[in-house]
Order: sequence, then C-alpha cells, then structure tokens
Amino acid sequence: MRRNKSFWVLFFKKELLFSLVALAAAGPRAQAHHSFAMYDPSVTIHLDGTVKEFQWTNPHALLWVVGVTSPGADPALWTIELPTSPGNLSRLGWTKHSLSPGDRVVVELNPLRDGQHGGSFRKMTFVATGQVLLVNLRDQSKTEAAK
Amino acid sequence: MKFFRGRRVLTASVLCVCALGQALAGTIDPRPTPADWAALAKLPDWSGTWVPNITDQSRRIKADPTPWNAAAARQIKAMEAEEDAGRPRGLFVNCLPEGMPSWMLISHNALEILFSPGRVTLLGESDGNRLRRIYTDGRGHAADPDPSFHGDSIGHWEGTTLVVDTVGVLPQSFIAVSESVGVPNNGDLHVIEHLYLAGPDTLHDDLEIIAPHVLSRPWKTTRIYYRQRAKKYEILEGVCLQGSFTDGKDKDGNAIFVPVPQIDGNPKPQ
Repeated sequence: MRRNKSFWVLFFKKELLFSLVALAAAGPRAQAHHSFAMYDPSVTIHLDGTVKEFQWTNPHALLWVVGVTSPGADPALWTIELPTSPGNLSRLGWTKHSLSPGDRVVVELNPLRDGQHGGSFRKMTFVATGQVLLVNLRDQSKTEAAK
Repeated sequence: MKFFRGRRVLTASVLCVCALGQALAGTIDPRPTPADWAALAKLPDWSGTWVPNITDQSRRIKADPTPWNAAAARQIKAMEAEEDAGRPRGLFVNCLPEGMPSWMLISHNALEILFSPGRVTLLGESDGNRLRRIYTDGRGHAADPDPSFHGDSIGHWEGTTLVVDTVGVLPQSFIAVSESVGVPNNGDLHVIEHLYLAGPDTLHDDLEIIAPHVLSRPWKTTRIYYRQRAKKYEILEGVCLQGSFTDGKDKDGNAIFVPVPQIDGNPKPQ
C-alpha cells in the first residue's frame, strides 16, 4: 500500500517524539567501572521520595528518585548510582524487580561534591514495609554453601 | 578381510597425510585424543565461580606497594591527589577491557576457569569480552604476537599449580591499583603467574609483573579468589557499553539502543 508523504512525515515525527520521550525518561546512565571519588563519603544524606526508574544495566545499576532531603523542600529528581553491576547485585539478593516506579523509599546516599542532585547509594528502606536493601560487595568474600 | 585390511591401510595413509599436511600448514590444534580428555580429570578441580577477595585487594595495595619508577610515581601521586580532591580520572570509562594485568589486580567481578585439552580459559564478567586463552599444549610464545589486551599466554602445570607466562600485551593496557589510579605499561610487559588452590575453595594468583618502562623492579603480589557454587553466583553477561545506551524505537518500531550523552563516564544529574 502506498502512503502519501504527509503520512510518513507524521509517522516519523511520532516515532521521533516517542524516542526522545523515552530517552528523557530514562535519563543519563553510568558508564564504565569508575571511581566514586566525585561523591563525598564524609557526608551522608537521606532522600525521602518516590522511585521514578530503576535501571538494571551494566556496568553500574542506576536509580532515579523524586524527593526531598529536608522537610518542606521542593521535590527534586536525584540520580543515584549503585556501586556495582547487576551480576554482583544478584549475588547480594537484588533483582531487576527490586524497585519499581512509584515505590516510596528513603535512600541513604553520599552526595556529589559539586552540590548537584546526584549521589552514591549506601542503603535504602521501603517506607511501606521497612525492608532494607544494602550493597556490600565484601559480603561475597566467603564461600557459601551451594543451594 | 582383505577388503577391511585394505581400508585400514588406506585410512592410516590418509591420517598420516592429513597429519603431515597439518604439520606443514602449521596446525597447532590437533584433534584431542581420548587420553587427552581423560587427562583433564587428573587436574585439580577449579570449577565454580571465583569471586575476588576485594578486602584483600585493598589490603595488598598497601602491603605490596607497586614499585613505580620515578616518572610513574609522579603521575600516580597526581592521580591520587585528584581523586582525593573529588576529580577522579576513571581509567576505564571508555569501556575498553581492563586487560592484563589490571583484570587480575583490581576487578570486583567474578570469573570462571575452563579446562579443555591443551588449554585453560578464563572467562570474566564485565567488559563484554573479558577472556584469557592460556595454551598448555607445549607450544611457545608466538614469534611476533599481535599486541592484545590480554596478551599471548603460555601455561604449564607444575603439579597442581598452573604457571602462566604472558607477553604481547598492548602498551596502553594499564597497571592499575584502582579504577582511577594507574598508568599504561608502555610496552615490554611480562607477567608470570602461579595459580593454585590454597584451600578447598580458595584460589591464589601469585603475580610477578615486569614492566621496565614504569616499574623500577619486578612487582610481586597475590590476588585471592573465593569459590562459589550457589546458583546466584553464575556468571552473567556484562556488556560495559550497554550502560551508554537507553532503550528506544526507530521509525519502524524496532527496539533499538539510543546513545545517551555521557559526561566523563558518570551519570549526570538532571
């Protein structure tokens, strides 16, 4: 079936728009295994908010949360980098379904030194259940019984 | 009978000619014999997933300090100062392999070790293509190996210890003590390793790293791996560059990867 030119222009615009929306929603990604020194380990803050997206991708998983770090502040979107890969996170009990958009959480993080809304993940608590998620790679440094 | 005897002679002749042909053509991967496969059963059991002891990695950076030469030491000091100031230079943000010897020195990711006739293969998680082929069939190093991230590795067994000799590593491949501190080996790298079970589920890699352009003397250190057999430790695919893309659709509705701008390899807050 032949389509007229305006159909394809509209179709392409729609797909382009969809791609850009998907791109914007997904946000930036961590790249290679890198140092975490841009985060300040001497400062720990608590981000109270709602999960926007959980990105289960190598080399480091990422989490986006909209929330506040002090009561009454305007909510902001925070980009939180987990310290390792899906492979290592799986061994610590995480899965790609550990977090879902809309989950109410309190995230403990080391913030970026430059004051932007980003940080390195330390610990997370689900508000509804009190369940805690941690990432401690050194927990793997002992042999476990096969299951 | 005569027919079968004739066939045997013919078969033997063909095999001889093929073997001669292989030898003349430089074939070095002959078909393994049943004895070759049986010999694998006599090797130590290195099955399972080997997870690096990260605590010990950190400890040994101080316990076995790298003997940098003066020029490298100056660069290392500057990198450490930059990291302390919150301006780390990620050595691997381009997602190229950590390569030798950094994979063995600093990785936080698991590996597995496969035995097959004449060869030991290390397969690692992350980097997308992290593997080492170690030939144990008696061959020597290639006369003029194409430089590679993991080099040209020849191994032999001394009892239950695998001794590995590696040359032919790209000069750009780092000698790293962390993901943001290290320098390229700058050529002529030679790594000698002794891998052995130090306990039922503990593998040691004793490394001697000879890098005449950046080290003042050979650097001897050890890395430790723990064996894991639980399901959750199975090696997963880990394609480093995947994190530089997001999910999208093209104009035809196909699922595609869409590049995402990066800033120095770190997620940029929105």
